[in-house]
Amino acid sequence: VNRLRLIAADELRLMRRNRVAMLGLIMLLALLGIAVLTSIAHRDSNDQIRARLQAQADMEFDGQPARHPHRMVHYGHFVFRPLPALAAFDPGVDAFTGNTIYLEGHRQNSANFGDVRQSSLLMRFGQMTPAFVLQTLAPLVLIFIGFGLIARERENGTLRLLQTHGATALQIIAGKALALSAVAALILAPAVLALGWLLLVERAYIMPSLLLLTGYAAYLAIWVGVIVLASSIAGQTRSALIMLVGLWALTTILLPRLAPDVALGVKPLSTRLESDIAIQHDLRQMGDSHNPDDPYFNAFKARVLKQYGVAKVEDLPLNYRGLLALEGEKLTSKLFDDYGNRQFAQQKAQSRFADRFGLFSPTIAIRRLSMALAGTDLEAHRRFLEQSEAYRFTIVQRLNQLQASAVTYSDDSNRNKDPEAGRRVRIDPKNWRNVPDFRYRAASQNEMLRAALPGTAMIALWLLGLTLAMRVTTRRLQEMM
Amino acid sequence: MRLWNHELHLLLRQRIALPAFLLLTLLAATSVWVGLAEIARQNATIARIQPQQAEDVAAIAKWASKEGDAGSAAYYTFHATWDAPSTLAFAAIGQRDIAPYVLRIRALGLEGQLYESENYNAELALPGRFDWAFVLNYLAPLFLIVLLHDLKSGEREAGRITLLAAMARHESALWLRRTVLRVSFVFLSLALPFFFGALISGTSLLHIGAVLLITAAYLLFWTLIAMLVWRWQLSSVANAAALAASWLILTLILPALTHLIINSAIPVGQGVELTLAQREAVHDGWDKPKEQTMQTFFKAHPEWKDTAPIKGGFHWKWYYAFQHVGDMSVAPQVRAYRTALEARDRATCAAGFLLPAVGVQTIIHRLAETDLTAQLSYQDRIRAFHARLRKFYYRYVFNEAPFRAPDFEAAPTWINDAV
Repeated sequence: VNRLRLIAADELRLMRRNRVAMLGLIMLLALLGIAVLTSIAHRDSNDQIRARLQAQADMEFDGQPARHPHRMVHYGHFVFRPLPALAAFDPGVDAFTGNTIYLEGHRQNSANFGDVRQSSLLMRFGQMTPAFVLQTLAPLVLIFIGFGLIARERENGTLRLLQTHGATALQIIAGKALALSAVAALILAPAVLALGWLLLVERAYIMPSLLLLTGYAAYLAIWVGVIVLASSIAGQTRSALIMLVGLWALTTILLPRLAPDVALGVKPLSTRLESDIAIQHDLRQMGDSHNPDDPYFNAFKARVLKQYGVAKVEDLPLNYRGLLALEGEKLTSKLFDDYGNRQFAQQKAQSRFADRFGLFSPTIAIRRLSMALAGTDLEAHRRFLEQSEAYRFTIVQRLNQLQASAVTYSDDSNRNKDPEAGRRVRIDPKNWRNVPDFRYRAASQNEMLRAALPGTAMIALWLLGLTLAMRVTTRRLQEMM
Repeated sequence: MRLWNHELHLLLRQRIALPAFLLLTLLAATSVWVGLAEIARQNATIARIQPQQAEDVAAIAKWASKEGDAGSAAYYTFHATWDAPSTLAFAAIGQRDIAPYVLRIRALGLEGQLYESENYNAELALPGRFDWAFVLNYLAPLFLIVLLHDLKSGEREAGRITLLAAMARHESALWLRRTVLRVSFVFLSLALPFFFGALISGTSLLHIGAVLLITAAYLLFWTLIAMLVWRWQLSSVANAAALAASWLILTLILPALTHLIINSAIPVGQGVELTLAQREAVHDGWDKPKEQTMQTFFKAHPEWKDTAPIKGGFHWKWYYAFQHVGDMSVAPQVRAYRTALEARDRATCAAGFLLPAVGVQTIIHRLAETDLTAQLSYQDRIRAFHARLRKFYYRYVFNEAPFRAPDFEAAPTWINDAV
């Protein structure tokens, strides 16, 4: 152990003298610093803007004048997706999904105004966030610092020298890995500070934050392992460098892009326009409210009349138009849910398919883990979409209910002919204030940890595979010495 | 010629050269194939929606033509628009994976419809697409680095450099030959798959020529960087490290920092604020005196000023008028939003003069019409189409003319390149 520490200390001394390595390291730390600061500021301001717009939308809804309830169904509501604290560390898909939805009756609108459509192509080069720096740039800097770890000793013939001093292959490999791990730990330091800040000041969840840090530590450890491995396999320092840069390009740049394209080819999605047409089509099949002889709505009418024991809709204690609106919304909403679930299921299948490439690329694995823990993956967006659809249904049905109970059938039928009836159908605006506001329920700590399972498993698999490869290489190195 | 042949033999005998060329060709071919498949999918979608859309309109026409009410025909009928991919789009998919290329609109307020998003998997969009522009921009320089970093230093390290210098008639011609050979192979590895893709896609010769020219220029840039590094006379390892570091800085770090700077220097405000404002304006229409709304509307459309005045609580004339007045009321915000988006695009363009990676992406995506400008141009065409739709329906609504089955077919149809 003493000799191991000596080897590590010796290596670190060499690294400190390597001016190129130091420059790279300092540059990386500076970038990470910039990424941390801008990302936190970006998240805070975005979250504030969304909170302000949500408050404005709530106020505008509550402040609507006396109106026919169906006017409010069309006036609708806006909801905004808040940003979790850890989004400052890894914004994930936040910029690639819309963050606001306009909710109205009969229709399900998309989440709009994602940053990606408001930015130039530059966005597709990658966003300077702590996650990007750690996932993509940090491994390359580690490669620059560590490619020669063992290959250099071999090239210079000093490997045998070490052996004559009594060092075993295991000690050499472990010592070198320890030295490079120290560099990795240094790279992780700004991330620790950032997470500490998010934890204490922005009240991020404790367990996910810790697991996130552990995940990135494991990710960098994987790269340390890969570098040491390649450096001991390669005959020359140059081939070690080329092999590692190639591996890096393959796993952090190429595969993460190739995987989605394969997934999209295998499991294509249908466009919104097609779903929209299909929903309209299904709706007509179920019941056509425009057709006076439609069997579905005739049966509905008969059922309502029977339930209240009256002969015609005029005699109902409730406004039949309101009841019809309730029934219609129920039908459309059911279809929205069906199509939405199908869409989600297909997207999830795509993502899962792309995740399989995580077996070949630790970057894909850490990305999965990181987004899940930051609450910025597709699942988080789905939560928002589902909750906003549920909220849409709630408020629309509440307003339809008001139409049924607070507006009489005869007033409703004559509202455009008789100005008095037109005045009476405009009900008290306090009803709008009684409609509950949208409260987004973020994933709980436990839900987040559960979501992190696949990513954790992939990272663990990588660590395991690397440990095995390390043992084989150590044995080979021992034999060669 | 004999010298060139000789160099070619030497090059192909190198352990790394031939596999590198083959790998790059394979990657470029894959990217072209992926791009062609994606564009074929988009074209198929555009073709597929036509009968679906026709069926949807027919179903509405079935009941709406009985009433003959133009107002409700206009209200319920959606009209399909689409943005067909250019013949170069396969090489640079750009923003086509996240921006809608098919969108249905109706004659109501446009600002509430124009910004709809497409269904797409954001997790898959996040890393960017594997298209040919990506292979050119990110991977080609890496291959050049692998092939060029030890061109001189390798010979020096092998102890052959004095011999080579003594034997060659012109030493610099020797290095130039070797460099040209390697760069040409990289160029061919990229260009051949692209060229075949372009033939399949029917890309114009002008566009093919432009793309190949950019490719050559970009490769030349990286070659010059490599030659610059040679001058320091470092070891092969140091050359490789220096070149890889330049690549990292020029293709990843600086573009990402530029994006950060552009987006914070040019805030786009919030598109959602203009949508919020438009909703308020439209719905205020219900409560404002009808006369006031109509007067504002007539300022934009004086041709309907002398039609019959509105009586009663509701009239479609008034309804469509306040829809349009809602759009009109946010025109300044729309302009500001648009100007900011364009400013961001222009700033990126400017950055392209300093950062070749950004420049190459900007030019290729502009040629392929898959950038932000193309998105905005699609929106412009939708605006023009929306105006045609409104005018078409106004004729019935304001003249209070019946709207029958043949009228559904008379409605304006989208022409892809109509501006």
